[in-house]
Amino acid sequence: MNAPYKMPEGIILSAQNLKKSFGDNEVLRGLNLDIRNGEVIAIIGPSGCGKSTFLRCLNCMEDPTSGSIFFDGDDIADVRININTHRENIGMVFQQFNLFNNKTVIENIMLAPVYVGVRNYRQAKRKNGWIKFGNLFRKNKKDLLPLPTTPAQVKKQAHERAMQLLRRIGLEEKATVYPSTLSGGQKQRIAIVRALAMNPKVMLFDEPTSALDPEMVGEVLDLIKELANEGMTMVIVTHEMGFARETADRILFMDGGVIAEEAPPQEFFSNPKNERTKEFLSKVL
Amino acid sequence: MGSLSSAWNVFYEQMITKGGYKTALQGLFTTIEIAVLGLVIGIILGTLIALVKVMPKNNPAVKIGSVICDVYVGFFRGTPMVVQLLLGYFVLLPMLGVSSDAVVVAIIIFGLNSGAYVSEIMRAGIQSVDPGQLEAGRAVGLPFWPAMLKIVIPQSIKNILPTLGNEFIVLIKETSVVSFIAVVDLTKAFKSIGDATYEYILPYVMLALVYLILVLFVTYLIKLMERRLRRNERTV
Ligand SMILES: Nc1ncnc2c1ncn2[C@@H]1O[C@H](COP(=O)(O)OP(=O)(O)OP(=O)(O)O)[C@@H](O)[C@H]1O
Ligand SMILES: [Mg+2]
Repeated sequence: MNAPYKMPEGIILSAQNLKKSFGDNEVLRGLNLDIRNGEVIAIIGPSGCGKSTFLRCLNCMEDPTSGSIFFDGDDIADVRININTHRENIGMVFQQFNLFNNKTVIENIMLAPVYVGVRNYRQAKRKNGWIKFGNLFRKNKKDLLPLPTTPAQVKKQAHERAMQLLRRIGLEEKATVYPSTLSGGQKQRIAIVRALAMNPKVMLFDEPTSALDPEMVGEVLDLIKELANEGMTMVIVTHEMGFARETADRILFMDGGVIAEEAPPQEFFSNPKNERTKEFLSKVL
Repeated sequence: MGSLSSAWNVFYEQMITKGGYKTALQGLFTTIEIAVLGLVIGIILGTLIALVKVMPKNNPAVKIGSVICDVYVGFFRGTPMVVQLLLGYFVLLPMLGVSSDAVVVAIIIFGLNSGAYVSEIMRAGIQSVDPGQLEAGRAVGLPFWPAMLKIVIPQSIKNILPTLGNEFIVLIKETSVVSFIAVVDLTKAFKSIGDATYEYILPYVMLALVYLILVLFVTYLIKLMERRLRRNERTV
């Protein structure tokens, strides 16, 4: 494996020459994207051009056919990398919400933080066990690792954090209900804070409002805008042009498996250069 | 009417006075024993096979395991239970040179047979859960197995349990063929009661009733369990 990749200053995630095929169908034909810290990127483009596929490659929900994705010093497209620990730092929000149906709202939010916290505790304990065993034979005793928070503390903290997130979106009274009883807008906002509970460094949204009734689109977009204002790094696939123009720092137009055009929103919408972009915008605006 | 009352007298004498009820109870016990233990073995085997089948096929060991499972499931679903019993008892056992109680053989064959069916029930149950559920679990950083155990499998139980109950009922009824390898089950017991008196009406009607009651009882238990599982889904 190569030496750890040195990310250029200020870049948090970098896709390089990313390609993805499904069988003979080459969906992504070599995309490059550097995502800057705190940047909000909106991806638009005609249906079937590979927006979802691109987004899903960024956290390796789809394994890229070739190319690299650098995140936290690793090429996460490399199958030898433990993708799970990296995914803890990449939040993802789905069109269909995908709340865990067998868990209450608060359990949905707590699941991953508790899993990771308990796992870290167990790992540290196991390592200490080996150190203690080694110490039986050592002259210079090795120090034990400091133990991270205990599972009970992990759960308590995760619960507090989850309640705080629920209060933030005004749904604290829904903490103990199952997702099936919620409206689409509520589900999606909870899905967003579920991702937030892991304190991700970057968040990926795949058409977060496309499955919502029109009257609920606003509440979800408002929450995403709030996150943008707080400096969250985000990549958002969307058909909401008004939202993209208002919120994004950069618009990517995808077509034919490549990024056909990219520009800040002002320039992108008022002065598109690519013919396909013009054609697309004339249809959706 | 006369003949029925005399038939009743003959049956009563055979059952009570001559101790036929003991044979019947013994047979009932054997039937339940084979069905229950067969199902237990079947659930264990079926779960293992289903897990192999739903694992991501990105390593050769899983692929080979998956092919072996296919062959196994194909054989046990593709041949009649009676044939499997005969093969087990009259072919495999002598070939291996071991002697074993016919009931044990029946339990093992029923276990192997139901393992094949249960694996399909479980695989279907797991695959009926929206793939978005696993995806969301993986997206927050859970590895494959924790995501399956915490999210997908609990949701699949709801789909699996009723079908599994059905499989148990099928097993109970299918035990009626074990007399082919000389096991005395419920059917064989009542047949012998009939044989002793050449009076078959009451023994066989009774036999049918006992199976029916058994099956209705199991059906009731399944309903009960289903209701408990559903409750989990409701609002607080
Ligand atoms: N798992 C898959 N297996 C095979 N083909 C796939 C798979 N996922 C996507 N594709 C194909 O890849 C192409 C791009 O799909 P993708 O979902 O990325 O498009 P999209 O831009 O997100 O479209 P939309 O706006 O409709 O969501 C399509 O032709 C689709 O059929
Ligand atoms: Mg899409």
